[in-house]
This record gives sequence, C-alpha cells and structure tokens, in this order.
Amino acid sequence: MNNLVIPVGEEGRARALGEFLAKVLELGVVDAMVVPVMPVPGVITYLMAKDPELIRKRAEPFARVMPVNGASPVARAVSKKPRGRIGALLKPCEIRALVELVKLKQAEADNLLVIGIDCVGTVDRDEYKEAYSDVGRLQFRDACKVCLNPCPPDIAFPGINIGHIGLDDESGLLVSLSPELDPGIAGVIEELGFENGDALAGKRQSALATLKEERDKAYREFFEKARAELDGEGIGGVAKLLAACTGCRNCRVACPVCYCRECIFDGDVFDYETRQILGRAGRKGGLKIPGETLLYHLTRMNHMSLSCVACGMCEDACPVNIKLFPLFAGVAGRTQGLLQYVPGRSQEDQLPFTTFREEELEPR
Amino acid sequence: MEASVDFEPRIVAFLCNWCTYTGADLAGVSRIQYPSNIRPIRVMCSGSVDPMYILKALLDGADGVLVGGCHSGDCHYVNGNYKARRRLAVLREVLDELGIGSERVWFRFISASEGALFAETVREMVDSLKTLGPNPAKAIWFT
Repeated sequence: MNNLVIPVGEEGRARALGEFLAKVLELGVVDAMVVPVMPVPGVITYLMAKDPELIRKRAEPFARVMPVNGASPVARAVSKKPRGRIGALLKPCEIRALVELVKLKQAEADNLLVIGIDCVGTVDRDEYKEAYSDVGRLQFRDACKVCLNPCPPDIAFPGINIGHIGLDDESGLLVSLSPELDPGIAGVIEELGFENGDALAGKRQSALATLKEERDKAYREFFEKARAELDGEGIGGVAKLLAACTGCRNCRVACPVCYCRECIFDGDVFDYETRQILGRAGRKGGLKIPGETLLYHLTRMNHMSLSCVACGMCEDACPVNIKLFPLFAGVAGRTQGLLQYVPGRSQEDQLPFTTFREEELEPR
Repeated sequence: MEASVDFEPRIVAFLCNWCTYTGADLAGVSRIQYPSNIRPIRVMCSGSVDPMYILKALLDGADGVLVGGCHSGDCHYVNGNYKARRRLAVLREVLDELGIGSERVWFRFISASEGALFAETVREMVDSLKTLGPNPAKAIWFT
C-alpha cells in the first residue's frame, strides 16, 4: 500500500479532495468521474463529471448523506463495458454493493477505477436538507450507527482509497494506492508530488480500531434488542412489524443488490383474479389487499440476504416507515454467518448460491 | 401448544421426480401404509424449489412443508440437491432469526428405492406436527 498525503488548505477538505479528483480527471487517468455533488442547497446527487471544473467547485465527497446507494447508478452506467475508463468515488457500503453487482454480472469492473472513501456515517436525507451546513448535530441513520465497515474494503478493487477517519484538516487526507493498481495510474498520482503518508496511515488505523470497538458493541446491542422483540412471537411477531406494508416495492428498488430486471412479484404470478382473492379471503375470514406483503419480504430475504451490505436504503425508502433495517440486516448477518460469506469483500469470493460443498450443512 | 386430538396436519411436499417422488410411488405400489396428510407436488429437482414456494405454503396455512431430494451424489442434474440444501439452510436461518421457527420445514434425501423410508418420514413428520399444533399463520389475515 503506497500512502500519500493530500494537504488541506483554508478552503477545507472537500475542496482539497475535489482538487485531487479534478486533477485525476484532468491528467487523463480517467475519462469521466462519478462524484457526489450538491446541485441545489441540501441536495446531494451523483454526477458523471467530464469537466474537472465541476468537480473542483461542486464535489461534496464528505457529504454525510446517502440519497441512493451509489453502487446502483454506477453499475447502471457501466453495465456494458465502457470505452474509456470511469472513476467513481464511493463509500464503503457502496463499494461492497458494487462488488456484489459485479459478481451478479450487473456491472463491468474492468474499465472502472474505484476510489473508496472512509465514511463515519450518514444522516436522514430530509434532516440533511434542513441542516446540511451544521450536519454535526444530526444523528446517524440506524444502519450507520451499527456499521461495522467504515473504511473501504482493501481487496475489492485495485483502486485508490481516501482515508480521513481520525485525521484532522491539519494533518491532511490520506491517499492509499492499492498494490494491484495499474502502474500507469499509480505513476501519474505519485508524480503529483504528495508527501509520504505512512505516519498518517498509522494514525488512521488506531482511530479505526477505537471506532470498530464502539461499533461492534452498538451492533451487538442493536440486533439483540431487535431479536428480543421477535423472540417467541412466532409468525405473528414479524407479521405485525410488516403489517403496514403497502406493497409499493420501494425497498426493493432502493436495494443496491436486488438486481432482477423482472421481479416475480411484479409479474402476473401474484396478480390474482377476483375469485382467487375471494377464495383466499374465505379461508382466513378476510385478506389484506394488496396482499402477499409478508411473503414478498421473506422471499427477498431468502433471495438477497447473502449479498446484503447493510446500507439501510430499504428502510430509507419505505413510505410507511417500517423499520426494515433491523429485520433485513439481522437476517443477513445470520445467513452470511452460516455460509461464512462476507459480501463485497472480494470479487474472488463465489456467491454462495452458485456453489456448494459436498459435505456441509448436515443434519438438514 | 397442546396437540388437539382431532388435528390432522396438512403437509405440502415438493418431491423430486427422480428420487423421492419415485420413492413415494414405490411406497404406494408396495402397499406400505402411511398417513394421508401429505399433498405431493412433483418437481423435476429439489434444486428447483424456490424458498418462495415453501413460504407461500406456510403463510397460506400449510402445517408443514417437506422437500424431498436425491441422496448426495445421486442428483439427476448433478448438484441440484446440494444447491437445495444451501437454499433450505438459508431459509431456516431466516425463519429462526425472525422468530417464526423452522421446525415446520423438513428437507430429506430419499431415493427411488426407499419407499419404506418415505412412509416412515411422513409418519414422523405428521407426529412431529401434531405435537407442534396447527400453523399459527392460518389465523393471520394481515399478511
């Protein structure tokens, strides 16, 4: 890992990093760069920037908000191998989701330069809009409070990581080049003349260790509480938690890894005819409509929980404020533990449902 | 829950065409007696049973779901039963984590020559479900 320091000037860290990213684009390392920008006050979106000036002036790489998991727009933009190289500045959970999408053949990683950035957490989108200039006083989203991965995965992509956890403006920002990074790209960046950042890397590591301890504890407590609420309640417990579901499927759309172009729940399989609805209603005395909402959530957990990166976008997307994150991420933690799968860790790890071992999971 | 005396569980069974379904057939032609609580659905492979089918049956009030596949190494499609084993294991984790419990879902390897084992499995499952009692999902209409 080659560590360098980006000095932070009077204009602040966002402009310092913006300058670095703009240079990367200007020097032709990439042909375009995906960065979060603020088009109107309090609103963050992703921008596929071709003009380095836009990045210099508008990039908001430290914005503590995640309107969309960046893996989705980036994957869509590079679903077919792009001709040039595209850079993308992404948070850790976005990178991990992107790795899953690459494995699910929904994104093409060859011409992608992933620039990961540390993330201590993000806040509610609406609260951010109100108070983006003083974001420090806002609480993190639940998913971020218990996030165990505040720094980008090391071996997911041969890219660049920007570290800032535990570093103040005085010490600067840490740029770490992956050992597998294309030597051409590494050479251009090394020539920018930044100082060696090994000392900074050590400082960041110790801050990360403290943060990890806090997060481990928060994670355990959060999910123990969620589990205790459901324990012994049987199917009625989870049915009650999901009773408000209107079947809008927003959670699925917001989920970065739920990738099917045509979901079974959108087809005519569950488009029951009146006589079927009446028949089913007759058996139970009555039937919630639109129905099959519990089946939908449970099915999604079965299909996608192994790739869940616990970004919490499902909960953010819910129009009736169902607390989906503890359910989904709780299940995901457990299914991933069972098959010892860490989503987003590496492109080399096989998706668990595409492989098997002859001796495992017994007794059935 | 106390088992009611006259409670007869309903079991939806997804049986692989090549092994368990043929095993069930053998139980029949061999005149082996087993309870009639089972509603078999023939599928081409246990690997084709999406967890959604199992969940659908459970949420609609089936008291149990049996998935029957070939023994290790015997799958007609080489590895469908191994894939089913992973899917079923994940389904179990989902059900257990959410407090629903996975004891109503059974996955068994029964070959075409094991008619007696098939009958015995159904007997065991019926007994176990009688102890568990009716599926509470039957009474939940707001799913």
